[in-house]
Amino acid sequence: MSITTAARFEIKYRSYLTPEGRLVGTPPAIASDADLLKRLYRMMVLVRIFDSKAIALQRTGQLGTYASCLGHEATHVATGAAMRPEDVFFPMYREYGTQLWRGVHMEEILAFWGGDERGTAFQNQPLDFPWAVPIATQTLHAAGAALAFKLRGEKRVAVTVIGDGGTSQGDFYESLNAAGAFRLPAVFVIVNNQWAISVPLKAQTACETLAQKAIAAGLPGVQVDGNDVLAVHEAVTEAVERARTGDGASVIEALTYRLSDHTTADDARRYRSAAEVEDAQKKEPIGRLKRLLMARKLWSDEEEKTLIQDCQHQVDAAVQAYQAYGKPPRSDMFDYTFAELPESLQAERAKALAEEGSHHG
Amino acid sequence: MAKVTLVEAVNLALARALADDPRVVLLGEDIGVNGGVFRATVGLQERFGPNRVLDTPLAESMIAGLAIGMAAMGMRPVAEIQFSGFIYPTIDQMINHAGRLRTRTRGRLSVPMVLRAPSGAGIHAPEHHSESNESLFAHMPGIRVVMPSSPTRAYGLLLAAIQDPDPVVFFEPTRLYRLNKQEVEDDGQPLPLDTCFVLREGHDLTFVSWGAMLHETLEAARLLAETEQVSAEVIDLGTLSPIDYETILESVGRTGRLVIVHEAPRTAGLGAEIAAEVAERALYELEAPIVRVTGYDVVTPFFKLEHDFMPSVDRIRRAAHQVLEP
Amino acid sequence: MKTFHLPDLGEGLTEAEIVEWHVQVGDTVTTDQPLVAMETAKAVVDVPAPWSGRISALHGKPGDIIPTHAPLVDFEGPGGEQPSPTTTTHPTAKAVSAPPREDQGSVVGHMPAAESVVAEQAIIRKRPAEKRTVKALPKVRRRARELGIDLRRVAASGRHGETTLADLEAHPAGTPTAAPRAPSANRASQTETLRGTRRIMAQTMSLARDQVAATTLFDDADLEAWQGRQDITVRVIRALAKACTAQPALNAWFNGETLEHTLHGHLDLGLAVDTPDGLIVPVLRDIGRAAPGEIRQELERVKKKTQARALEPGEMTHPTFTLSNFGMIAGRYATPVIVPPMVAILGVGRLCHDVVAVMGGIATHRRLPLSLTFDHRCVTGGDACRFLRTLIDDLAEPS
Repeated sequence: MSITTAARFEIKYRSYLTPEGRLVGTPPAIASDADLLKRLYRMMVLVRIFDSKAIALQRTGQLGTYASCLGHEATHVATGAAMRPEDVFFPMYREYGTQLWRGVHMEEILAFWGGDERGTAFQNQPLDFPWAVPIATQTLHAAGAALAFKLRGEKRVAVTVIGDGGTSQGDFYESLNAAGAFRLPAVFVIVNNQWAISVPLKAQTACETLAQKAIAAGLPGVQVDGNDVLAVHEAVTEAVERARTGDGASVIEALTYRLSDHTTADDARRYRSAAEVEDAQKKEPIGRLKRLLMARKLWSDEEEKTLIQDCQHQVDAAVQAYQAYGKPPRSDMFDYTFAELPESLQAERAKALAEEGSHHG
Repeated sequence: MAKVTLVEAVNLALARALADDPRVVLLGEDIGVNGGVFRATVGLQERFGPNRVLDTPLAESMIAGLAIGMAAMGMRPVAEIQFSGFIYPTIDQMINHAGRLRTRTRGRLSVPMVLRAPSGAGIHAPEHHSESNESLFAHMPGIRVVMPSSPTRAYGLLLAAIQDPDPVVFFEPTRLYRLNKQEVEDDGQPLPLDTCFVLREGHDLTFVSWGAMLHETLEAARLLAETEQVSAEVIDLGTLSPIDYETILESVGRTGRLVIVHEAPRTAGLGAEIAAEVAERALYELEAPIVRVTGYDVVTPFFKLEHDFMPSVDRIRRAAHQVLEP
Repeated sequence: MKTFHLPDLGEGLTEAEIVEWHVQVGDTVTTDQPLVAMETAKAVVDVPAPWSGRISALHGKPGDIIPTHAPLVDFEGPGGEQPSPTTTTHPTAKAVSAPPREDQGSVVGHMPAAESVVAEQAIIRKRPAEKRTVKALPKVRRRARELGIDLRRVAASGRHGETTLADLEAHPAGTPTAAPRAPSANRASQTETLRGTRRIMAQTMSLARDQVAATTLFDDADLEAWQGRQDITVRVIRALAKACTAQPALNAWFNGETLEHTLHGHLDLGLAVDTPDGLIVPVLRDIGRAAPGEIRQELERVKKKTQARALEPGEMTHPTFTLSNFGMIAGRYATPVIVPPMVAILGVGRLCHDVVAVMGGIATHRRLPLSLTFDHRCVTGGDACRFLRTLIDDLAEPS
């Protein structure tokens, strides 16, 4: 008997843009696409301004609990930018950067967190799935959609996002396994922001990387600097195109940091140190992209000022649109339960509507 | 017309759906080459190819989740869960997504999937193969639960479930799979959902049941008629959620007596729901308190005791006597 | 010798066909060694030896149909118990060495299988509910059965148009089941929701007030002519019986809805009896035909049972006329209330010695005050007056 190596695996890590805004190594093609870089930057700034406004709305009683995306902008926006319109996105619940890139309206995001189902209508984005709050369930929907694309011979890709905590779920493993077994056109982006509410990564798993979870499913896994919009964009673009050409699914672990509380209902100071957050702050994604653009003379203070004003206007307009929603009619509860309301529900609906006049609020 | 068993009728309906609608895809464990552990899909992969009849990896939550993703993308997946006790991992996917994707997108996306699963005891099977878990799914908004009790209804209701624009959990009473045959015309005609089927008309009391228990219920009704001159109406619920209460209320309005028979445990079983609704809407019509004949509130026993667990013809007859002589 | 019988091969079948014997007479076999291939409707299965031994007979040849539980193989040696079919013949238990066989339709368990073709009707019935004519709770229906009351004849007062227990017991044929009333411990004002007999009285009287066109006649029967000791109640009942015969319009029931006036050929006299729990009305059946002695006997029996609260439900149902002997306590005249569907009630007041005008002077006579209430919807004043006349005349008889 002899002992040999049955298989060997390694996980690559990619990072091009340093926190100081310098490019290292061989930069990807996108590094020389000034227009795209500026578009990515503009969206990242818009997302951050939107995010801070949403928190303010919650803090002033104008929005329900809200999950901030502070610090995730590069990963989210780059993921959206790497997709084609006909691809389908399966979010968890804080990927506003991806969603805005793909046409979801800010007021819809606000409406969702404002307890209004109309926020899920996605008037400008008919394909994408809504937010998936139960952890990891969406990864199976992505696999299912990818299976549909594959069976129908469509050149489309299902892209899903999951957090570091979500990779502990069975559904996550099951989706990777299915994607491997069926060779599906799917991309799994793990947004590793180090914290699953209060549980740090080291308590979540003994794995050195989350990308290596791909190995067990027979998929390629890669780790990237999630605060480096270039690295994320390159990795997701490669994965999406690989999927599109029939070479199967991939897993990308984007290392980033949740600079905010888990949601507005959380207080991260209970479980993590200010020093750690301060340290992570220095690596946040928007500043480093700005420094790159400035260094390359692709961006100016004047443009920055205009951009911020413009973003604020957009966000204000979205807030106004959100506030104009008002309360939906009670019938809304019933009308989307089935394609056609069954008799028993018609009776319930009629009763609820009849009682509507006698109750307020 | 072919004389077929219930499981053959399922096979016929699946074949018909695959032939008629290119969006229909079957997926599940061992359904392809092996034709399913109960042989419901036998021959279908051979006939329609591996892109229409898919053997999946072994994970039930995955099967449900894949079906949801496929359905939302415009396919008509028909997923098979191998045994009734293995259906529990799908619950998260079914309640959190299948039943509410339409609501969560304001009708933008929907989930026209069917989750087929065997149901019930009485086949001498190992542990976890004899569960009756329809109540769990009947409690989920946005999902239909359907259970046929004959080859004809297996064929017609399964076609209806596949054509339905919303998710349907389709329970197949394992004990009836090969118990007897019926003439079934493979005409592609669905039977209506959301409606009861009156299997026997009567005026002294009303039996409501579904799935395999109709076998015993009909036998009890026959004996009551032949030996006691009691005329019992027998209603097959057909669609377990949403329930067609109108047929039940109409019947109870005439007979004034209701016995509900189901194999699933008693507490929070569907019988409780039906009894409550009838009490709310027709208490003054009742000659006698409503009686349920059900499985006990115990873990489904291993097969040596399974027939002691399942309502017997005798238990059903005793319940009938109870409502006849309150 | 012991015999191995063909077990139920687990598919609920009644028979199986011998495909091929794997052994022959004289062979020595060991437990679990395949004996025979049997074909059922669904599968060919090898049936193994249930025990070791030497075979002395095979029952049947290939192609023969063997009924389940019929002898299959005889073994030499002492008899033994039939082994459990489950352990020896479960087809799936033999996966390793099983010969090619027909699929049995499941990888687990036994699929009960049969070739029987079932004909059934399955009706999709969408028709409006035809409501039962009477709405009532099961407990009310049960009570009605106990009392022998046709619920359709009882006026319903429930909020949803349902007949209530109270309606039932307010019905003349109903049982005034008295619930014991808790004695009042203190004398302070207290509100008590009426229960039992008193509750029934409240409802009955309201019903009577609402339905009956009551008119009351007053007069006195002069008992001056009475000879010896006379039993007043017995005399009143005798007089009543005579009056009822003379004027049957008052010994009757009236249905206000259908306007049916039912005249009775017999007198079932309801006797209002005052008890601590309230008013109870036992019925003296066909009392008009009873001799005076029998009347007294019946009165004693009924009163005793009433006080003991031992009346049968049937002893309180369907009176045709009511007699209230309130004068035993106090009061001369009253306006007694008729309980529908009856149409008349006689109240008998306190016996008095009255100063009366007699031919050429005054005298004191014993007189019995009478109050006759009749339902003017179906009884005319003339009928009533004639009824009272007959009554008074009979009471005035010496004996």
